[in-house]
Amino acid sequence: MTHDELRAYVADKFGDKLTLLDTGRAEPMYEVKLSDLHDVAESLRKDETLQFDYLCNLGGTDTGERLEVHYQLASIYKNNRIDFKVMLTDDKPSVPTVQDIWPAANWYEREMWELYGINVEGHNNLTRFLLPDDWDQGHPMRKDWDAPDFIRLPEFKG
Amino acid sequence: MSALRTEEFTVNMGPHHPSTHGVCRLILTMDGEKVVKVEPVIGYLHRALEKICENRTYVQCIPILDRFEYVTAMSCNYVFALAVEKLAEIEVPERAEYIRVIMLELNRIASHLLFYGVTAMDIGALTPFLYGLRERELIIDLFEMTCGQRLTYNYIRIGGVARDLPPEFVPKCREAVKIITDKLVDYEGLLNENPIWKVRNQGIGYLSPEDAIAYGVSGPVLRASGVEYDIRKNDPYSIYDRFDFNIPTHQNGDCYDRYLQRLAEIKESLKIITQALDGLPEGEIQPKKKINAITYKPPAGEVYARVENSRGELGVYLISDGSTKPVRVKTRGGSYNQLQALPIMVNDCLIADLVAIFASLDVIMPEVDR
Repeated sequence: MTHDELRAYVADKFGDKLTLLDTGRAEPMYEVKLSDLHDVAESLRKDETLQFDYLCNLGGTDTGERLEVHYQLASIYKNNRIDFKVMLTDDKPSVPTVQDIWPAANWYEREMWELYGINVEGHNNLTRFLLPDDWDQGHPMRKDWDAPDFIRLPEFKG
Repeated sequence: MSALRTEEFTVNMGPHHPSTHGVCRLILTMDGEKVVKVEPVIGYLHRALEKICENRTYVQCIPILDRFEYVTAMSCNYVFALAVEKLAEIEVPERAEYIRVIMLELNRIASHLLFYGVTAMDIGALTPFLYGLRERELIIDLFEMTCGQRLTYNYIRIGGVARDLPPEFVPKCREAVKIITDKLVDYEGLLNENPIWKVRNQGIGYLSPEDAIAYGVSGPVLRASGVEYDIRKNDPYSIYDRFDFNIPTHQNGDCYDRYLQRLAEIKESLKIITQALDGLPEGEIQPKKKINAITYKPPAGEVYARVENSRGELGVYLISDGSTKPVRVKTRGGSYNQLQALPIMVNDCLIADLVAIFASLDVIMPEVDR
């Protein structure tokens, strides 16, 4: 399936549940609403034509304005790739777990919970992961978190 | 007489255990001599590379990512450069692409040779370590000749490579290819039919293809479980579609097949290098519009680039807002998922077998902890 065929198929199948984002590149990137996230993920996995059975990557992002969670999927047998992400605007950001769909998500979600403070509903093991066990200094990957000896690199003009 | 009472107990393995290839701690639940459950504890090498990258210019990120997976640092250079090139639609000169392919494949062989040595050493055979590292040295010398570094290269840059090949590189590289091709016979002779090696590896650490895919396992471990999936063929990048090579697979999904898989991949990589050396064109090695290390700004956008390195899928998810620094660099390495899948491969094995399984996954901890 080419990227265009994939786009057409997804538009037909998911309608407004997956909104195509303009990222200026060949591989499609979609936005999904938080309330649809788990259903859409499950459909992408179970759909006979798509069969997204392989989770490439999952993680959080802090753009400075809001938190996002991105999902990169691939299909081993159908050889497709798709990306989608969910924007989190709530004060207490939270996403449903997808580890029941892709077991690989377990560690990625645990890491995201720890470094970004994004809660994962239904996750079986939200405990300290990359950081020390007694860590109590917040979520270091957020943009407003700086290390004590941090010096920001200036924006160079040229 | 009443029956003997038994209970499970916990053993802590690592973080400084020599067979954990870095600092990984495994919490084992034991029933007598059998490992019932294993829980990897990671994070001892967490250096916040992703956070550091957010405060660096794009060109400065490349040497940082060298430290992400230092055994195949060329792939780490490359995957970041590829992400920026996809984002900014930079055209890479022909010669640079050929040089990159030669470097990536040489690095893959070097990594598999290291695997050959240390895996055998973990299981108790010392000789392969000496052999594997002897031939790896040839490749490391080639890298040193080209970019001055032996481990962290900072060679593949955005839009090209740092400097051209020295004139003596091509003959030396051909010589190294010939030597490694010859020596592979020795490697196979040492271990393939070795009865101790077979008993220690065959049927140990079985991973089914379904589980491998579900846990995101990639690279040689996935292909040793019988799944024919290689990003070089399935999602081609660079100029890999020009070369004639096969994707070997093995069907049993045990430690022995993972070992055979890597040796088979060395042969394919040698084929690619020979073809790339034959076709190496003359010309530029950097893009027409030079990339300024301090002021370079790619357009705003986001991209996920992935390549096949010796441990599976190596990916970078890059978000740019059009300034000189990336908003987000999310790295993804094969070891992370391989280690995550370790608990399902244990299946009541012995601790000694656990060491064999761990070695067969070829996990490298800096890639897991980042």
